[in-house]
Amino acid sequence: MDAIRIPPPAELDSLEDEQFRHVVRAFLHANYPEELRNPPKRLHWSENKPWYFKLAELGWLCPGWPQEFGGLGLSPSKIIILTEEYERYGVARTNDHGIVMLGPLVIKYGTEAQKQFFLPKILTGEHIWCQGYSEPNAGSDLAALRTEAVLDGDHYVVNGQKIWTTLAMDANWIFLLVRTDKNAKKQEGISFLLVDMKTPGITVRPIINLEYHDEFCETFFDNVRVPKENLVGQLNKGWDMAKALLSFERIFLGSPRQSGYALSRLKLLAERMDVAEDPTFQESYARLRLEFEDLKALYETFVAKLKRGESLGPDVSMLKVIQTELFQKITDCMLEIAGENAGLLEPMEGNRNLNATGQFIQARPATIYGGSNEIQRNILSKNVLGMPG
Amino acid sequence: MSAALDDSDRQDSIRMVRESAAAVAPVGGDSKRIRDLRMQMPGFDPAVLRQMGDLGWIGLRVPEAAGGAGLGLGEMGALAEELGGALAPEPLIPASLSATLLAAAGAPAELGRVLSGESLVLTAWQERADTLEVPGGRDAARRFIPFAAGADAFLLPVREGGKLALYWQDAAGASLTTEQTYDGGHLGTLAPAPGRKLADDIGAVLEQALDDAALVTGFYLLGGAERAFAMTLDYLKTRMQFGKIIGTFQALQHRAADLKMQLALLRASLESAAAVVDAGATGDARRAAISRAKTRAAEAAMLINRQCVQLSGGIGYTDQYDVGLYLRKAMVLSNQFGSANLHRRRFIATAPAEESDA
Repeated sequence: MDAIRIPPPAELDSLEDEQFRHVVRAFLHANYPEELRNPPKRLHWSENKPWYFKLAELGWLCPGWPQEFGGLGLSPSKIIILTEEYERYGVARTNDHGIVMLGPLVIKYGTEAQKQFFLPKILTGEHIWCQGYSEPNAGSDLAALRTEAVLDGDHYVVNGQKIWTTLAMDANWIFLLVRTDKNAKKQEGISFLLVDMKTPGITVRPIINLEYHDEFCETFFDNVRVPKENLVGQLNKGWDMAKALLSFERIFLGSPRQSGYALSRLKLLAERMDVAEDPTFQESYARLRLEFEDLKALYETFVAKLKRGESLGPDVSMLKVIQTELFQKITDCMLEIAGENAGLLEPMEGNRNLNATGQFIQARPATIYGGSNEIQRNILSKNVLGMPG
Repeated sequence: MSAALDDSDRQDSIRMVRESAAAVAPVGGDSKRIRDLRMQMPGFDPAVLRQMGDLGWIGLRVPEAAGGAGLGLGEMGALAEELGGALAPEPLIPASLSATLLAAAGAPAELGRVLSGESLVLTAWQERADTLEVPGGRDAARRFIPFAAGADAFLLPVREGGKLALYWQDAAGASLTTEQTYDGGHLGTLAPAPGRKLADDIGAVLEQALDDAALVTGFYLLGGAERAFAMTLDYLKTRMQFGKIIGTFQALQHRAADLKMQLALLRASLESAAAVVDAGATGDARRAAISRAKTRAAEAAMLINRQCVQLSGGIGYTDQYDVGLYLRKAMVLSNQFGSANLHRRRFIATAPAEESDA
């Protein structure tokens, strides 16, 4: 292979798309730790930090942030290429809540002081963030959240409980949706608060999931005192900011990368199970592949909107539903052809590419998190189709 | 004897079996026993297996003359359904399979210890994934043996001169590797070693016994799906979001109704297949009935369990919530004794032609 020159970070966005794709491939080949390719489970900070620090060192950590804040300033279409290539190479997710969620929020809504304090610490890996949105009784009905923050002098005092705080045990900061006005309409009394996890009164408890992994946690707040300058945006306007992030999350969750990865592994599994030439399998595979291609086409129409500088409407929920349900159908098919291997806890033959059960189990929560698919369908019927009620 | 029972006697007999199941699988019992056994070896409680022996369950299908209860697949299915609802991990289905072979082989001493649950004897018949064929290679590794680490001995079918002979191989000294399964159990791979011959020709009995095990596995899946669905209905009827019980949302009501229909089809399919076998069907008619039911069992159990996790939301994806235990069990059992794909193909190959007016 001809050596491809990897330009400095500031020049990446001006490359032609195809050239950029080749640069990303060369970059991964040169820098990504081989032993972290296609990990069977979500990695903890202790496992993924070498890669996080490598990205930080090379200036590649935050592809979507503007260059003035230390990002690559990539256009949405380049971010998609980058994501596709990461997925193809089997790059593990890092503890990326600061990069993907909190950073863009602070850039958009934060004060100058917040930008100067928080953004560089994400870029160096000093702050690892987690997200505190859901609560035991505020899941699909997120706006019903009850964790409250009461102003007491220069501090907010936070009490309550968050759940599904992904990788909270690895994080040293958490961004929270908190109730700051109990009398307002439920969406109008919510604020966005940044909390140092070392503050007294915070307890993190891991939740073991169906994968026997402790990716999710519950996090308890008992009279936690938070400096009031850690409020982002206006008081009681947190819901609108969170919603802006959620629509970004939906296009991320609607990206065909998960299905694409699963589909390529389905094919490898079919070859290993000796059913690749079986007409029954071929028909199932064809259906899945066609749906995948159509999902990509639909996804590209949303990306094109972003490229034109338009913001995404509620119809982005379609992507999340179609992608996650396709991901599930592909992994269902994996189990159908895997025979007795469909019950194995570890990838069959120790081969991560044949990890049917791991993929199947990981596909389960995809239709639950990021706004369950039931909620996405509510959004589509009410906000896109204008159904009454 | 089972074929001779009339319908009302049969229903009484099935009811008695269900009631006896409460000894091991109490209705509404908690999951602590099941959880504590996960990822441990041998993954089940040998004392409970002995209790199953005492209750006559391991020999439920073995003829009375050989020391069994001589009951039918209707009774065995009902029992498996109860155990599936309780997620009992004890390898009753593989142990009964071996009991049937030992009875046919005329090995009363070995059979006696199996029937009492003192010994766990597992039939090591399988050489590749997703098959009901038994090549009987003398040296071929035997794979996917459920709970193999708990076995005292193995039965190995070995092809000799066009017939399947049956050999006995002690577990002590055997070369056995195991792989953990998602439900907390394990599957073993055994390297065959020279053993003691028990019978010269076990082929026809084994073929039927594997089919019976497929059907009984379907009943076990039914019991699990019923229980997961019941838990999910409770959740839909009590969980509040948006100021309402979520079971008042019509979209969720329809999903629950769809699952109920799958459960009804699953039960009807299994019970009618058991009735066909108990009425004495043989050959392709028997194979077709069982393949129809196992196809439905694999597909409906996976569908229902997946949906139960989804309808339970985030809590459904946690290890602490029991609904997920049923999904994991279904992952392990749906393809045992043949996947839906295998049984669909076999159904079409063996089913009598559809009647037509033309």
